[in-house]
Amino acid sequence: MAVSSESQVDGGDGASGEVAAKTWRDTLGRIKRDTTARWGLYVISVVLVVGLYAFVDTYLSTLTFGALDSYTMAEAIPIFDHPEHLPAPGESQPNQPPAFHVDGTLEYPLGTDPEGRDYFTRLVYGSQISVSVGIVATLLGTVAGTVVGAVSGYYGGRIDDILMRSVETLYAIPGLILIIVFTEFASGGQRNIQYAIIGVSLTTIPIFARIIRSRVLSVREMDYIEAARAAGVKDRYIIAKHIIPNSFAPVLVYATLEIGVVILIVAGLSFLGYGAQPPTPDWGRMLAQSYRYMHSNIWLSIWPGLAIMFTIMGFNLFGDGLQDALDPRIDN
Amino acid sequence: MRLLRYTLFRFAQAIPVLLGITVILFLFINMTPGDPIRIMTAGQEVSESHLAYLEARYGLDRPIHVRYWDYLSGFFTGDLGRSIHYNRPVSEVMMARIGPTLLLVLSAFLFAVVTAIPLGILAAKRRNQPSDHISRIVALFGVSTPSFWIGIMLIIIFAVQLGWFPSAGLVMPWDAPSDAGLSGYFWHMVDVLHHLFLPMIALGTLQMATIMRVERTQMIDSLQGEYVKLARAYGVSERTILRKHAFQVAQLPVITLVGLGLSTALGGAVLTETVFNINGMGRLLIDSIQQKDYQVVMSVATILAVIFVIGVIITDIAYAYVDPRVTYGEGE
Amino acid sequence: MRDKPLLRVENLKTQFVTENGTVRAVDGISFEVYEGEIVGIVGESGAGKSVASMSLLRLVDNPGEIVAGEITYKGRTIFAAEETEDGDRRLQDGVLSAETVRQEIRGNEIAVIFQDPMESLNPVFTIGGQLREFIELNRDLTGDEARKEAIDMLREVGIPDAEARYDEYPHQFSGGMRQRVLIAMALACQPSLIIADEPTTALDVTVEGQILDLVDELQRKYGTSFIWVTHDMGVVAEICDRVNVMYLGEIVEQAPVDELFYETGHPYTKALLDSMPRPDRTVTDLDPIRGVMPEAIDPPPGCRFHPRCPDAREVCRQVHPEPAEIDRVDGFSHRSACFKRDVFDVGYDESPPLDNLARGESERGQEASEVASGGGASE
Repeated sequence: MAVSSESQVDGGDGASGEVAAKTWRDTLGRIKRDTTARWGLYVISVVLVVGLYAFVDTYLSTLTFGALDSYTMAEAIPIFDHPEHLPAPGESQPNQPPAFHVDGTLEYPLGTDPEGRDYFTRLVYGSQISVSVGIVATLLGTVAGTVVGAVSGYYGGRIDDILMRSVETLYAIPGLILIIVFTEFASGGQRNIQYAIIGVSLTTIPIFARIIRSRVLSVREMDYIEAARAAGVKDRYIIAKHIIPNSFAPVLVYATLEIGVVILIVAGLSFLGYGAQPPTPDWGRMLAQSYRYMHSNIWLSIWPGLAIMFTIMGFNLFGDGLQDALDPRIDN
Repeated sequence: MRLLRYTLFRFAQAIPVLLGITVILFLFINMTPGDPIRIMTAGQEVSESHLAYLEARYGLDRPIHVRYWDYLSGFFTGDLGRSIHYNRPVSEVMMARIGPTLLLVLSAFLFAVVTAIPLGILAAKRRNQPSDHISRIVALFGVSTPSFWIGIMLIIIFAVQLGWFPSAGLVMPWDAPSDAGLSGYFWHMVDVLHHLFLPMIALGTLQMATIMRVERTQMIDSLQGEYVKLARAYGVSERTILRKHAFQVAQLPVITLVGLGLSTALGGAVLTETVFNINGMGRLLIDSIQQKDYQVVMSVATILAVIFVIGVIITDIAYAYVDPRVTYGEGE
Repeated sequence: MRDKPLLRVENLKTQFVTENGTVRAVDGISFEVYEGEIVGIVGESGAGKSVASMSLLRLVDNPGEIVAGEITYKGRTIFAAEETEDGDRRLQDGVLSAETVRQEIRGNEIAVIFQDPMESLNPVFTIGGQLREFIELNRDLTGDEARKEAIDMLREVGIPDAEARYDEYPHQFSGGMRQRVLIAMALACQPSLIIADEPTTALDVTVEGQILDLVDELQRKYGTSFIWVTHDMGVVAEICDRVNVMYLGEIVEQAPVDELFYETGHPYTKALLDSMPRPDRTVTDLDPIRGVMPEAIDPPPGCRFHPRCPDAREVCRQVHPEPAEIDRVDGFSHRSACFKRDVFDVGYDESPPLDNLARGESERGQEASEVASGGGASE
């Protein structure tokens, strides 16, 4: 073990044994009663609704306008309709202040970005990338990690050794650096978002592989698994039908918490220019852009950061609440 | 004696992981679709014969396993190849950059540990009282906020608006003018801290919040331990219980966490160095990718991973020092 | 009557205020401990034995609180308070301060041996270090003297090679050895009273026997008094001089040990004795107590044992019995809180018997349904 996080990940494992026995209805009831989880759920719902709205709107506009997607539309409208808001040549302050500012207008409640695009609209559309990448990358990592962990734990021996050493090694490269290097090389310097997603999910594999593996090691010894094996049931079937469903609860908690972490990482990637590429609006990118205007237009830096924080907080709250709800030690 | 053997054991254990890191990173760089030389020289007028010369110079005309062997043996003999952009040995380029990164990361951890542990203990001691709630909310914000945005906000408030701290660059403690006397050295150190303060907080906040959360739950757990009941029954004061009996046991997971947090912090250093314009390893990584200086990219990524692995080993040894139950070899 | 008791507890009440209501874990118990004797507190889990014993040191975990009663030890008042009419408690004058109790009572006057030897020792400090800390804190010994005393004590409780094992950690000791260390801790502080809170429950039977012999021997040698908390009547028979039987926060019977076994006064005590495995009886002779103890948050009216009592009558449901003296042996009183005894004049004999869990067909029916529902629940 080069990276002794095992104790960390396994920490919740004693708890998860009893968790599996709990019925889903019981768990849902606990989540509903848990204030933390409830607030997390509210925040996540808000972000999801906003993101979904942006997604549907983008999709519909693509149908209507063909190639001209709705980002460009949303961005373009202010420039076409309100030339007076465009910066005068040589003007150092290219964007409008927010509504509550002296010269601000209600039309642009959060002002415009340096290119004169409505900042609020971009903020709304920016939610798509953060949330979807967060969820997709976590999902990929969960699936891959589950497969690796299940195979590793079930077969043991040399397969286990090789898989776990690889996972450990993957874990030994600091996440953000692994993702940047992977994205750069895998995409041949193109930095496509798809590669970034795969890169992010790579970094989440070790966590899930370890959780699943330790669960499998305990489940494997249970009588009904032995019975199934004795009855000649195929290994693949045992893993898929018995072992993985049995390990679902702890994975769910970690996945929820991991979505928050992934969104944090994706924001950093975008800030460095490795996430969504222009003209797609994205919170991390918006912060990178606003960096140059720190001296003159503070609000450009404030709003995307608040949006990121709000979203991650939602997932963290929900994950914490979920953990409490699933932890049999904390019994109300 | 026990610790010495454990230390040797841990380093020996890390060797396969270190090899694995080089394999993974080497695979990444060779995953690039297309010829790295052509990507490096994209947009420049280069003759075919010069391309062939470059391929030979960087050893790209040889089979992949030979190249890996060269890379690996180079790594252990300190020959990391030449940087195309800087036209200097990679090791030389990195030597100048590693200081700021280490200074930044170590000071961030110092800040995190020094603030998080007392706050976590306080929160545990006053569980469910206002000060506990406040510290939990602060910790939630801490784990939900991107470090680079905290950096941007700190620059806006303390550098741009208030002008208390510089917004960019670091001063190295060992860069004092050679003719400086004692007072000159003192003022140099003040300058070092003055530059270090904002980036340290930006990078350290996430660590602080994470450590604080774990410290709190661990202390709550530990304070409910039977050994604390025993100490109370024998007249040990609450102060000693908090500082000695409960404290030492609670620190075990915290130590592990600090080691693992190094991974996040090294990634975060890339962002912090970008925000604060610090010429460290992270900045070097990003710049080298920009300049297609892949030899440097590889080496920087490897060195950062090695730093992480060494950091984890050091914290493991610290863990073994505190927890007499740690043995080596068995069980893993 | 003997001389003044070492410890006198009168009408002690300890409560836990929870969201669901007030749990009266200890509800008005009184007993004495004289010098050199071992006094048992026996009862089922949840009867309030541990809370009662910890209350003596004023060590009750949140949200628990001692609300009333008086604890006198060697003429000093550890606790004395009365419940006022509006439910608050009022400390009386002359009570030792919390700080004084910590410094002058805990450890050096009254020491404790806990139930779980595996968890009671701090895993990150050496055995010797922990022992020495308590010695330095509670006796006028420092440095090497304390170390020497610690090693002597380890030897005294039968730890072989004590000097070498002084520097070892708890995980290097077996359960029985750890319990010996805990006993060494208690004795090393030279207290006049040791509270042993189920000290052998976590050990296997052979080790339990060894530990009981050790305590017996050391008790004779040092003359220390013990309060022995247990649920095991067998241990009580082996080690105790006098016994208090607790049920749902109350002491229902109090007697010297032989008197308790041969002149049992309370049906609950009898039930405890009948449910105890003994070499002179076969398993089929065992007669377990029916039902489970109700929650202390909502005790039954009247006698708290009446729903499970085979001798319960209507009056038991209506009137709450206070323990009364039914006999006197060697200057000690035998008290019992059951209306069956003549000292109570509440008309037990005329009262109609209760149809409850402990008798009749209804119980069988209930048991059957329990089995059925139990099978369903475990799936």
